Amino acid sequence: MDLSIFTEYGPRLLAGFRLTIICWLLGTVFGAALGLLIAVAQRYGGRSVRWALQTYIELIRGTPFLVQLFLLYYGGPMIGLRLDPLPAGLLGLTIYGSPYFAEIFRSAFRAVPPGLIEAGRAIGMTELAIVRRILLPVGLVSALPALINFSIILTKETVILSIITVPEIMYQTQYMATMTFTFLEGYFTLALFFWAFVEVISRLGRRLERRITRHLIERT
Amino acid sequence: MVEASSVEIRKVNKYYGQFHALKDIDLTIPPGKVTCLIGPSGSGKSSLLRCINFLEEYDSGEVLIDGQLIGYETPGGRRMAPRRLRQMRSTIGMVFQQFNLWPHMTAQENVAEGLIRVRGMRKPQAMERAAEALTRVGLADRMGNHPSRLSGGQQQRVAIARAVAMDPRLMLFDEPTSALDPELVGEVLNVMKALAAGGMTMVVVTHEMGFAAHVADQVAFLEAGELVGVDVPSRILREPEDPRIQSFLRTYRERNVI
Repeated sequence: MDLSIFTEYGPRLLAGFRLTIICWLLGTVFGAALGLLIAVAQRYGGRSVRWALQTYIELIRGTPFLVQLFLLYYGGPMIGLRLDPLPAGLLGLTIYGSPYFAEIFRSAFRAVPPGLIEAGRAIGMTELAIVRRILLPVGLVSALPALINFSIILTKETVILSIITVPEIMYQTQYMATMTFTFLEGYFTLALFFWAFVEVISRLGRRLERRITRHLIERT
Repeated sequence: MVEASSVEIRKVNKYYGQFHALKDIDLTIPPGKVTCLIGPSGSGKSSLLRCINFLEEYDSGEVLIDGQLIGYETPGGRRMAPRRLRQMRSTIGMVFQQFNLWPHMTAQENVAEGLIRVRGMRKPQAMERAAEALTRVGLADRMGNHPSRLSGGQQQRVAIARAVAMDPRLMLFDEPTSALDPELVGEVLNVMKALAAGGMTMVVVTHEMGFAAHVADQVAFLEAGELVGVDVPSRILREPEDPRIQSFLRTYRERNVI
């Protein structure tokens, strides 16, 4: 094993780590936000809205992320959508994740006892206030484990962005490995990074879960 | 106390698909009085109660609160504008069998929520008002607790305070004690009795015949979607003429003999 390469390529790798984390964070936040919008629109929209969104969900879930990314990055310019690698990658992640997030929110909303919604209606609250003050906070609690789980899956999907030359950690590692033939050291470090990254997210997730379900545990 | 509402139910029909849940119901609920709806399960009493604040849509007939039609613009016409429906609902308090407190809020926040979102009160005032309402139901020392830390009886009293804090002119109770352990029923009934004594119009779906006998001004008996009889409790519960009421009360007494 040759560890001297890390002094030379260290800065590149660090920049790659950082970009991976940023891509994951933004992809998760935007994807979850889009998913949430879809889930709310499905709940309150008319039949045609529901049908259109269901079709969107099926289409995105039914195609590989790499194919979606190629369509966006290489196919996009043919219809006038010219994006740099990073914006294309972030948009791709957002779109890719949104249907899964939408399904998580949809089932979480269904798990909210209808009586809690009725109590809001009976008191004269607007539907918007009911969504903001009851449906979302109560639904989020039951959605949290699934949200954390899918955001962990997304950490590993970010490596695909390297294929459209987003200089995240996979891209940087590949670069280093081909330049110096350090395939073992490079990819081993990469694997370690992802393992540690996921470990941190799942620990934070568990802590968050304990925090927000604190009030919901029945006293026995 | 604000003036009490009256409710006029005229020829109300309700279907669940093919099932005829309410059949031509006519019932007058006088202001400031307690009306109990009794009958076997599945008789339609909860559906009828829920038609009064339009949580349940009725298919024909009229439900009038102080002479004002709820749910529709005109009898059998278009649905009423959501804004007006909300405004009417905000003067009708409702208490549910399952309490339906919002689990992520404390008792005090549960009571303050409607005051803030519906009455447009500022949070400090709403919290203060919520504290008063909770004190009145004997929960001054439980205001900061989340529902999961309260007994069923306490939760139901919070739910009553949540409805009462809105200054309703009419209160609907949907089997308010049916989900409670027997030893907790009394505390909830006492709060309801106090409300009744204060001159609130109350409609109560209940299996508590004792409450119906002692607190109600009139009792309506429903069976299979039909209003079989309405009368003062002393007559309808002690010497009912209709054989359906007689048999219901017989079963009830047999079940409650120790």
